[in-house]
Amino acid sequence: MKRVFHRMSAGLMGALLLAGVTPALADDAFSPAQLEVMAGGCANCHGTDGRLSGNVPAIAGRPAELLASRLLAFKHESVPDTTIMDRIARGFTDEELTALAQHFADIYPK
Amino acid sequence: MSQQHNHSGLTRRQLMKALGAASLLPLAGGVGSFAIGGQHAGRVVVVGGGFGGATAAKYLKRANPAIEVTLVEPAETFYTCPFSNLYLGGLRGLDKIAHGYDELRDRYGVRVVHAMAEDVDAEAHRVTLSSGESLDYDRLVLSPGIDIRWNALEGYDEAAARKAPHAWKAGPQTELLRGQLEAMEDGGTVVMVAPENPFRCPPGPYERASLIAHYLSQHKPRSKVLILDAKDNFSKQGLFTAGWERLYGDRIEWVGLSNDGRVTRVDADRLEVETEFGTRHQADVLNVIPPQKAGWIADRAGVTDDSGWVPVKPETFESQRVEDIYVVGDASVAAPMPKSGFCANAQAKVVAAAIAASLESRPAPDAYWSNTCYSLIGPEYGISVAGVYRIQDGHIAEVEGAGGLSPADAPDSTRALEAQYAVGWYNAICQDTWGTTPGTA
Ligand SMILES: Cc1cc2nc3c(=O)[nH]c(=O)nc-3n(C[C@H](O)[C@H](O)[C@H](O)COP(=O)(O)OP(=O)(O)OC[C@H]3O[C@@H](n4cnc5c(N)ncnc54)[C@H](O)[C@@H]3O)c2cc1C
Ligand code: HEC
Repeated sequence: MKRVFHRMSAGLMGALLLAGVTPALADDAFSPAQLEVMAGGCANCHGTDGRLSGNVPAIAGRPAELLASRLLAFKHESVPDTTIMDRIARGFTDEELTALAQHFADIYPK
Repeated sequence: MSQQHNHSGLTRRQLMKALGAASLLPLAGGVGSFAIGGQHAGRVVVVGGGFGGATAAKYLKRANPAIEVTLVEPAETFYTCPFSNLYLGGLRGLDKIAHGYDELRDRYGVRVVHAMAEDVDAEAHRVTLSSGESLDYDRLVLSPGIDIRWNALEGYDEAAARKAPHAWKAGPQTELLRGQLEAMEDGGTVVMVAPENPFRCPPGPYERASLIAHYLSQHKPRSKVLILDAKDNFSKQGLFTAGWERLYGDRIEWVGLSNDGRVTRVDADRLEVETEFGTRHQADVLNVIPPQKAGWIADRAGVTDDSGWVPVKPETFESQRVEDIYVVGDASVAAPMPKSGFCANAQAKVVAAAIAASLESRPAPDAYWSNTCYSLIGPEYGISVAGVYRIQDGHIAEVEGAGGLSPADAPDSTRALEAQYAVGWYNAICQDTWGTTPGTA
């Protein structure tokens, strides 16, 4: 959980704190089994463990900070290049999205 | 970073969990019977190797490799209904919607038995197979998909389906329909009969009409598609209607319930159908999508209700009627989730986690489900509907503010992007379910 803290950009930290999410919570609030279930639907487009790369981008093994900022932007901002992730991200709390970002960042990409 | 990972690609946490579960085996409670010496963490039999069943088998093994998982599925090759409409439209070979069971067997250690499950003795926790073998289980997962309610629509029985195919299970029926479309003369009418809710794949009939119209526009330009519908509204209706107008002009005609669209009798020999108020329509190719119910093995297991579908406990998809039997996919009553391959896969993952937990006497993780149904109106024109689902007040509920439809006013470039992502989705869900990605053509 310390990892999340020092990998995170100041901007994202700010966004998370504003949203009432502390980085420690983001990683530890969910058990591994819980995260596996939470991430289950992502595999249907990103492949098992988020490792399939094709026209839908792979998400496994990419920096947690990048994944989290993308997910939070899909949810809260009007992102120009989204077709579907905005509709999906709005189904999760900020804390869940941050935990998902860490979950996929922890997976080896190949 | 790399020391966190191993060759199977599990994260360190997942690996530790798996090892932990295995080493704790002899102490684990809640399992009816262990092999001598604690060889396994419980026996799970999965019936059906489609979207729900194959996913359940894989994710059970991922949750805990020590669970003994047996998958029972008669076919060695599974043809997906998703993208079978592309095959009908001449956009994809049948081999590109075909999947097998090698990954489940070789990589995950699932025992795959190619046989039919013929009976379930819930009391004895035993499944009998067409091969004569019987399998004991601690937990049973049923994902048998749908069966047709033969004769629920007058005149539509198995013999009729050989002349007027339903093609609502992919394989020989789909090939039959494609052959008829190819053989039809230019100027012909393809009549499609669409059922009331609930049925497998709510947008499926309308995607099919679209891609048949695509084929006709390329090869039989004087031909048309007539959809006779038992409903007044259908999935993504506004998006479909706009797309039809944009791509096909008046080639597709849709007649809903209020305009006498409900077909009440089928004459497959004459390729003729009759509606509620006596209008007769003559077809050159007749595709009847008939009323459906849960696959018949669910009846044998005693889990269906009067509707013909299976009521389940929302949190875990365990049957409301029979203990230790879990039912996922089209066979289950999961509204507001639609009967889609995406949902079958998503439900199976929640069930796998719930069963793994129950075999270790742990509480099941909270359920999270999502769905996205892409539909192709043309090869470069895709639309979608999405939903995210959680338990609210003991029921499955759509998370408010999430999901919904592709925008009504999107430019062609967005439709083209969604058509590409539809292919990405198909590759990903098949990779996730069977381990195979067939590529694009
Ligand atoms: C034309 C069409 C297009 C579709 N497009 C999409 C789409 O784009 N996206 C989407 O998400 N969904 C789509 N669907 C829906 C999707 O096909 C189903 O929702 C999905 O297949 C349901 O999965 P399932 O596991 O319940 O059943 P299935 O995938 O049908 O699997 C059931 C399996 O169980 C086996 N079985 C049955 N009885 C027994 C028994 N007694 N013993 C052993 N095995 C048995 C069968 O052989 C079969 O292999 C489409 C459907 C159709 C018809
Ligand atoms: C229905 C298909 C689908 C599902 C389900 C899905 N994604 Fe995506 N994802 C996409 C597509 C398509 C894109 C490209 C952006 C867009 O069009 O919205 C994308 C983009 C992303 C990105 C940005 C990647 C980048 O390189 O910028 C992230 C992060 C992401 N998804 C994470 C997730 C997570 C986490 C989940 C599960 C909660 C998930 N996705 C579920 C289809 C999907």
